[in-house]
Amino acid sequence: MADALLQPQAAPDAAAPPVLDMRGIARSYGATVAVRRVSFDIRPGEIHALLGENGAGKSTVVKVLSGIVAPDSGTVALNGRPYAPASPMAARAAGVSTAFQELSLLPNLSIAENLLLPRQAKGAAGLVSIAQGEARAAQMLDAYGLGHIHPGVLVRALSLADKQRVEIMRAVARQPRLLVLDEPTAALSDPGWLFEILERITAAGTGVLYISHRLSEVRRLCRRGTVLRNGESIETVSLDGIDDAGIFRLMVGAAARTAQTARREPKREVAEAFGVTHLAGGTVKDITLSVGVGEIVGVAGLEGQGQRDLFRMLAGVMPAGSGQIRVQGRPVRIASPADAARVGIGFVPEERKTEGLFLGLRTDINMTLPVLGRLGRFGVVDRAREQAVVAREAERVDLAARYLKLKIGALSGGNQQKALIGRVLAAGPRHLVLFDPTRGVDVGTKAVIYDLIRAFVDQGGAALVYSTELAELIHLVDRCVVVYGGRVAGEASGDALSEARLVALAAGHGV
Amino acid sequence: MQTSPASSGRDAALRPEPLVRRLLGDGTTIIIAILVVLTVVFAATQSDALSASVLTDILNNSLPLALAAAGGTLVVVTRGFDLSVAGVVSLSNVLVAVHGGSGPLGALEGALIAAGAGAAVGAVNGYFVAYWNLQSIALTLATMIVCSGMTLLILDAPGGDVSDFMTYTMTDRIGGVVPVALAIAVAVYVVWRLLRRTDWGVGLYAAGADETAALLAGVPVRRVKLIAYVLAGVCYGLAGFMLTALTSTGTPNVGEPYLLLAFAAIALGGTSFAGGRGGVAGSMLGALTLTLLQKVLFSTGVSSFYTGIFQGVVMIAAVVVAVLFARIGTRGEAHA
Repeated sequence: MADALLQPQAAPDAAAPPVLDMRGIARSYGATVAVRRVSFDIRPGEIHALLGENGAGKSTVVKVLSGIVAPDSGTVALNGRPYAPASPMAARAAGVSTAFQELSLLPNLSIAENLLLPRQAKGAAGLVSIAQGEARAAQMLDAYGLGHIHPGVLVRALSLADKQRVEIMRAVARQPRLLVLDEPTAALSDPGWLFEILERITAAGTGVLYISHRLSEVRRLCRRGTVLRNGESIETVSLDGIDDAGIFRLMVGAAARTAQTARREPKREVAEAFGVTHLAGGTVKDITLSVGVGEIVGVAGLEGQGQRDLFRMLAGVMPAGSGQIRVQGRPVRIASPADAARVGIGFVPEERKTEGLFLGLRTDINMTLPVLGRLGRFGVVDRAREQAVVAREAERVDLAARYLKLKIGALSGGNQQKALIGRVLAAGPRHLVLFDPTRGVDVGTKAVIYDLIRAFVDQGGAALVYSTELAELIHLVDRCVVVYGGRVAGEASGDALSEARLVALAAGHGV
Repeated sequence: MQTSPASSGRDAALRPEPLVRRLLGDGTTIIIAILVVLTVVFAATQSDALSASVLTDILNNSLPLALAAAGGTLVVVTRGFDLSVAGVVSLSNVLVAVHGGSGPLGALEGALIAAGAGAAVGAVNGYFVAYWNLQSIALTLATMIVCSGMTLLILDAPGGDVSDFMTYTMTDRIGGVVPVALAIAVAVYVVWRLLRRTDWGVGLYAAGADETAALLAGVPVRRVKLIAYVLAGVCYGLAGFMLTALTSTGTPNVGEPYLLLAFAAIALGGTSFAGGRGGVAGSMLGALTLTLLQKVLFSTGVSSFYTGIFQGVVMIAAVVVAVLFARIGTRGEAHA
């Protein structure tokens, strides 16, 4: 793999101008200051980390670089020349290419069409040639190790991980001077593919701005990182000279919180809260597992091993093919999300933008939507009771009151996730089923989410959690079930619950 | 931890869907099936059903609606609604009836006037929707009302003067074989296929599916939408022109039924009102279906009062079948 990256990159040529030089960038949206003073630079061939909590201003920096918004003040220089793109196309023409966190692929177009937007390959008479477009796309896919994907496939049919790979690959294939990667590994359980590509392009002198919540990745890839806090660049640090706690302190400032709590004691035999026996359907071949009362059970696995369909069946989003789902000892049929809610299962989905939230509605309304029926008198919603529920849940998920009246689409990813979990909890479930609940959220929010899940099971609930981050599972769960090829490959708990053990199971080298 | 074989072979799951599945998921398959059924019933109940004159008649009657639905499809694919169709059909109808000349050149002049009026209305719609972000339903409702008002200024009662060339030759068969209406429909379809294979054509579907993503990918979304509305207006104008030939008169409110029928034809043809899915062929066939259905009801002796009920039932059936087909088509789609 990309072990060469563990070594410091070649010493930058002092004479060459930095790929990117950002000085005192500020940008406000109305009364909200998104960034107030951000300065940093990226040298040729450098992978520069941008670190910060949600809402620290990282996405605004990405938007400025991608030509989506213009800064109110400050200067940006690209290779020593002033850089002020008026549109995404202008940014691309100047040599800046971005892989967005909220993927920007069109689901109804083929991969080839997506890769070649906005100008397709032309054949006879200047008309779009599908054959030529797919040939060019196939070359690009092959060049970046994605040869197993056919360029004629509609993006809609791809898994989230493959979508993310195609999104990254499209940005890289434009051969930019500066590559911006916003949470590029959020959906990838094996980032080695990306690391190899980064090794290749940085050797050619491309600068990379790397935004990730995974500090281990950042340490592996980057020598320098800039920490943002409240819209200001606090410090550009050499990552060799600072430990995780130090970075964390810079990110949260004086109000440092303790994120690490010791793993909980392994549970003794407990009554089953819910479970499945020989469940099959979709990509699930045969899964049997059981979650006890007061227990957090993790699910680990490489992408596409059946975990998504397992969670969808439990949530009633997808019908179970065969096998049994039990809740509190009784077999149940979960044919719809309403059925799931009836038996007390609360589901936190993976793609909050499309599966969970109504981005155009206010945060508080988003939170009470599923329980509106219970808040009413004679079918008319009782505003006071609604506000009481919102206040209680917002408090529980640590969501600041000032966000509640904003459209939820305007909130950062972490706060959206808090609101979503608050909504699921507002419905009063007894069992939580969470699919990658910390995807693309910052450390502070992660800690809140962990605490929530623990508090939930301590009060007699039960939780099943899937995560792409093994370290997170080990930190959070009592037991971890590993799936492979739609079956249970093994289970680990107690001292056997280690990253090495999970990786071995996940790769199919069981027992 | 590489899970996929690094060999050159592409995974079976990551290939384009097989043809059968694509056909099932494609709305036009359903509309063709409905058409075949209706044609069989029609042929069974009316002895001269498949004669050249009856077929020409059906095509002539379908063409204005087919053109209107084709234009509307462009806007629906961008996730918009264009209600101005009713106003533009009426407007171009009276313009052609009042200002159209005689002979082939006069007809051409009429067609240009109709297309020009439609393009102008479409440009207004497109400009405000694309560049001012106005809601398409509200804005096109307004332009529809404006057009209806202008129609009355041009011609306040049925009348006008439509040339014999338009009335007879435009509704006849070329060389006694190919109906003019069919030739025009095919020409429109060919133009659409060509447009579909331009950057605009790809951008149209991109903008309809996800405007933000399309913008980020570099699609000039505003221009794409503007062009869609202008071309839609041209289609409505030509629909009004052909309607003039069919009715050989100018009638100020002749376009009104087209508002709902055009959307019915679009829905029948499998175009999604959620944007980014569907096409012109389905809508034109949908228009043909609605017309043929009337003929079938007539030939089977059903009172014409039932026409609306049957049209609605067929639409519901088409939508239901489309959903069922789409389910089968996507069964086993990668959830991985």
